[in-house]
Amino acid sequence: MIEFKEVEKRYPNGLLALNQINLQIEQGEFVAIIGLSGAGKSTLLRCINKMHDITGGSLRVNDVNVHQLKGKSIRNLRRNIGMIFQSFNLVTRVTVLKNVLVSFVPNMPVWRKILGIFTEEEKRKALMALDQVGILDKAYVRVDQLSGGQQQRVALARTLAQNPQIILADEPVASLDPVTAKQVMEDFKRINRELNMTIMINIHHVDLALTYATRVIGVRSGEIVFDGRASEINEETLSFIYNNTNQERGVTDYAMEAAITEKNSIA
Amino acid sequence: MQWKLLSPKKIVLPNGKEVLEKRSFMPVVWLILLVFIFLSIRITGFSLDVLVNRIEQFFVILQQMMPPNWAYLSKLWQPLFDTIKMSLFGSVAGAICALPMAVLAATNITKNKGIAMVSKFILSLLRTLPTLIIALIATFIFGLGTMAGTVAIFLFTIAYVGKLLYEQIENVNMEAYEAMQSMGLTTIQAFRYAILPQILPNYLSTSLFCFEGNVRYASILGYVGAGGIGLLLNESLGWRSYANVGMILLMLVCTVFLIETTSEYCRKKLM
Amino acid sequence: MNAIEKQLRLQPNRRMSYIMTIFIVGLLFIWSVTTVHFDHVSANGTKIAKNIFVGLLNPEWSLIVNMTTAGIPYLLIETMAIAFLGTIVGAVLAIPLAFLSASNIVPKPVAFVVRLLLIIIRTIPAIVYGLMFIRVTGPGPFAGVLTMSLTSIGMLSKLYVDVIEDLDKSILESMEAIGCTLMEKIRYGIWPQLTALFSSIVIYRFDMNLRDATVLGLVGAGGIGAPLIFAMNAYKWSEVGSILWGLVMLILVVEYVSNRVRTKLVKG
Repeated sequence: MIEFKEVEKRYPNGLLALNQINLQIEQGEFVAIIGLSGAGKSTLLRCINKMHDITGGSLRVNDVNVHQLKGKSIRNLRRNIGMIFQSFNLVTRVTVLKNVLVSFVPNMPVWRKILGIFTEEEKRKALMALDQVGILDKAYVRVDQLSGGQQQRVALARTLAQNPQIILADEPVASLDPVTAKQVMEDFKRINRELNMTIMINIHHVDLALTYATRVIGVRSGEIVFDGRASEINEETLSFIYNNTNQERGVTDYAMEAAITEKNSIA
Repeated sequence: MQWKLLSPKKIVLPNGKEVLEKRSFMPVVWLILLVFIFLSIRITGFSLDVLVNRIEQFFVILQQMMPPNWAYLSKLWQPLFDTIKMSLFGSVAGAICALPMAVLAATNITKNKGIAMVSKFILSLLRTLPTLIIALIATFIFGLGTMAGTVAIFLFTIAYVGKLLYEQIENVNMEAYEAMQSMGLTTIQAFRYAILPQILPNYLSTSLFCFEGNVRYASILGYVGAGGIGLLLNESLGWRSYANVGMILLMLVCTVFLIETTSEYCRKKLM
Repeated sequence: MNAIEKQLRLQPNRRMSYIMTIFIVGLLFIWSVTTVHFDHVSANGTKIAKNIFVGLLNPEWSLIVNMTTAGIPYLLIETMAIAFLGTIVGAVLAIPLAFLSASNIVPKPVAFVVRLLLIIIRTIPAIVYGLMFIRVTGPGPFAGVLTMSLTSIGMLSKLYVDVIEDLDKSILESMEAIGCTLMEKIRYGIWPQLTALFSSIVIYRFDMNLRDATVLGLVGAGGIGAPLIFAMNAYKWSEVGSILWGLVMLILVVEYVSNRVRTKLVKG
């Protein structure tokens, strides 16, 4: 369970990125966070595994106060939280399997860490993770020979191999084409259902958010302005989240229409 | 046994799927490297002991070079200019001659496989011979002096620029060239208007880069009597007047630094 | 004036800069022509040229099949060993220097100073190093190894820096999120990116060092250079021929192998 209580995050330059955030996310939820760029979506996500530190309030992950963690205990917390990035963040020069195996590194004895030797058990676990995202046959291919969608799946497999309780995904599909993006979202949905992992996802595509997530959180200038089931979202709430009082109206209207058509077609 | 070691290993997943694990060659590579290092140490008589105990001897000469003999400076200008001239003439002439050689060696322009093969072979043969050895041979033929050094640099430049150039020509976009040939241009005309614009920036940049390196090489050619500042270097080293050596090296470092900076600036503009 | 005329006038006027460039290069070229002279070439020269040619065509086979330390096979192996060990030592020592001169890792002034040092190391001719190291080790291949190491440091660190400066750092962020320590990030995030490219650079440098190692013999630092020069100075052209053939064959083979390995390393 992730619990935000009046969380505040102020950057050293004085920018208030998160303000009075109160949020409770149960194990196994699939949460999409939507909002304009710069609204604080990314910051919200990164506070959870202390990639960013909060400056006020309290944040508890599975009853651990994140704010008080230091050094080794932060790393232990992160072991239980997977994170996926927009740019995949893989080592492109080595094989897919080696990238996935990296997630076992912090738990290995020092000598194996230095020599880079993995046990058969670890390899088997990594291969299982690859099988879960459907790219088992690519295990010994170098990452730079894969497509963007396949690379994001490698990143997903790396996170799965960690066997986390929570997966944080920061714009995971923003640099993928629409078809691949949908496939990756399907993977997330399946993992969420089958393994009961909590998934929190930052996403620009409102249509995808509404289709796959069970809960949607709207963020606007560092505050939560919407929190509810995906089905509760309507044009009015969307336009409120996207703050479209001025010239941006056209763009958001378009995104919204697309979202609603999408929703209807799926339903 | 050997084959068994290299054949893929089978990993069975809990869900019954099988994956063939590719064997890594890294342990073998490391083993070979270690054996080579061991053999090389035996052959060359490398000894860390000697190195650690006597390394201060290395700095003895270095200390004697400081401070450099400034009075020697006036004698250095002429040989220094000779060195620059040698590398300049050799580089320019070599780069110009490399162009036809590269065209002959490029299989997409020269349709005759035999000519292309022979040109390529000549280029790699020329590149194999160290410049200093060519300079040495040249001193026997052209006598002592700058001519021998110029010839050595000229030949090296042909080989170096020629090789990089023909690789580029073989990789250019051939469509424009074919279009021009179909318009009735001759091979040379089509080359001039379709291929040359594509390779020109790279060609000039490679030649400049080669010139940079040639200045360095030219500075030691005098060692075998092929003219330039190397002659004085050899002399000063022979007489153990290390303050003079220091002056020569200081001059060289400054010159090379200047030429490198200028040429790097020009190469950036070309790209 | 119609549109076509206007467009014609708009042609960028770069003729001036072209002419200036060609003029300057031409002037420098003419200035340097003085290095070409044929006054030293006597009838002797053409005779020697003919002798060299004949010698190259009639190499002395007894040297090629001679398996003692005076034979060509051993000398070639010794040259290879000098180049190999020199490259390895240089390759290892160049790594810290390269990191110290990468402007995205250390502060700018530090990077500048280290770069200046590297230029100095690169510019001093190998022969000078050879003489300095002979004081340390006495004449022989050991001095050659040290010389090769030092010259390799200069070139290798310059090439390493380019690789270091375009490292992909996004991987570090995700390893941070996995909970890796700094050492683990370097070992599994940076190291794998560097190894393939660094090895490719090192192999290329070995190729060059093999050529350069042949001239170390000039100052008595081992390798095949010394017998080659002795043979030349004694006008034993068939001996020269056999040494050159051996050298050319060795370098061609090494170049072929190293090209193959490097392509495999870079492209996977």
